[in-house]
Amino acid sequence: MFSKKESMLAYGLAVCLLVTGVVSYAAFPLKAPEEPLRIMFNVEAGKVLFDHKIHTVEEGYGLSCEDCHHELLDGESDEAQACGECHDPEEGDEEVPKRADAFHQQCAGCHEDYEAGPVEEECTLCHIL
Amino acid sequence: MLEKRDLLEQQTPLEQKKLIVSHAPFYHSGRRVTERSYHTMLAALPALLLGFYHYGMPAISVVCLSISTAIFWELAFNLVAKRTITIGDGNAALLGLLFAMLLPATTPWWAVITGTFIAVVVGKQIFGGIGSNAFNPVALAIAIMMVSYKELFDFDTALLNYDLEFATIYPLKAAKYFGTASLDSFNLVDLFLGRQLGGIGATFGLGLMLGGIYLMLRGFIRWEISLTFLAGVYLAAFVFNLFDPVRFAGPGIHLLTGYTLIGAFFLATEDSSSPVNIIPMLVYGAAGGIMVVLIRNIGAYVDGVVLAILVINLLSPLLDKIRPEALGKVM
Repeated sequence: MFSKKESMLAYGLAVCLLVTGVVSYAAFPLKAPEEPLRIMFNVEAGKVLFDHKIHTVEEGYGLSCEDCHHELLDGESDEAQACGECHDPEEGDEEVPKRADAFHQQCAGCHEDYEAGPVEEECTLCHIL
Repeated sequence: MLEKRDLLEQQTPLEQKKLIVSHAPFYHSGRRVTERSYHTMLAALPALLLGFYHYGMPAISVVCLSISTAIFWELAFNLVAKRTITIGDGNAALLGLLFAMLLPATTPWWAVITGTFIAVVVGKQIFGGIGSNAFNPVALAIAIMMVSYKELFDFDTALLNYDLEFATIYPLKAAKYFGTASLDSFNLVDLFLGRQLGGIGATFGLGLMLGGIYLMLRGFIRWEISLTFLAGVYLAAFVFNLFDPVRFAGPGIHLLTGYTLIGAFFLATEDSSSPVNIIPMLVYGAAGGIMVVLIRNIGAYVDGVVLAILVINLLSPLLDKIRPEALGKVM
């Protein structure tokens, strides 16, 4: 039905691409950068995509790490930690507010101060509902 | 045969003979399915190369694994069903390639293998192989995967770790959830040149269009389907945008983002699941285009191209009932 050439081409493609695929899957996985570029928060109120890079680079909003990662300022840590390490998604108190409150305070608070970006009253500007 | 048909076309209606029957031996035009498959893959290459450029090795891994596993699934099915080995026709490789082009570059290996199984075995082979499938196998595979593993097709999450030099938010999602104001960072030229998030080979409008034109000129796909599909998208998006420009994106965005162009040139035109007569092809394409915008704008899914194509695939046999009246009558 098919010429030998056609069959050989299909077998050749299948084998060569399988080897290339398996090797490149194993050897070249995409590594997450040390400093996050964007972060997707999967929360009940709808996902929030936070562009970390645009907030930190000079051409963006030029914030320094300490502006948000207050643990650096307080000397609690030498390296910036992920917010969720202390701010629990479920529980919080006055000392350590729960994650959602901390974010709303941090993000919306800063946006209001600078009169830029989405504010807390407009949920759908951040949350994908 | 061909010469006689040409002659027939040159004749005026009065001169035309009603029925021409020639007897054996016939000659073969020389065109084979194999040629068609590999030329379609060739036409998809420009769009694919830009995907490799943007997403690097992970994209190459997905495409290689997808093509090879699609061929192996077809071979395995042929062997199990004790049928002729059909991988030589290149169609399985083509399905693998098109499937991979719609995926994000970070798709895990198991999803690629599952997807190619659905495309080749469930989408094509169980219907009887090439030419017998009611649905486009690639659209079917993507739709099943999209419904089963919704997270895999969240391009914003899948491509979080890519530092690209353009706006890194999936345009259709921005349009759907944040309204047209969120689309200010996109311009149509950038979108056309593939500077947007999306599937590995689905974002480069110029490349897809060049591939589509090549396939049309070679006669591998029908312009009637592609152009009416795009016209359907344009018109429906235009009407929605006219109705509420704050909520619904304009036609340019709908044409150049998501799977629109790859759908118009590479998916909707698949032969066994699309009509064969001219008027049905026009209706088929236009219905698909309109459906895409309806799903995007008022449906639950961010991108409706694969679902719209499945719907028109379903309509296809019905549409083919619209055909020229048969000559003569039965006494």
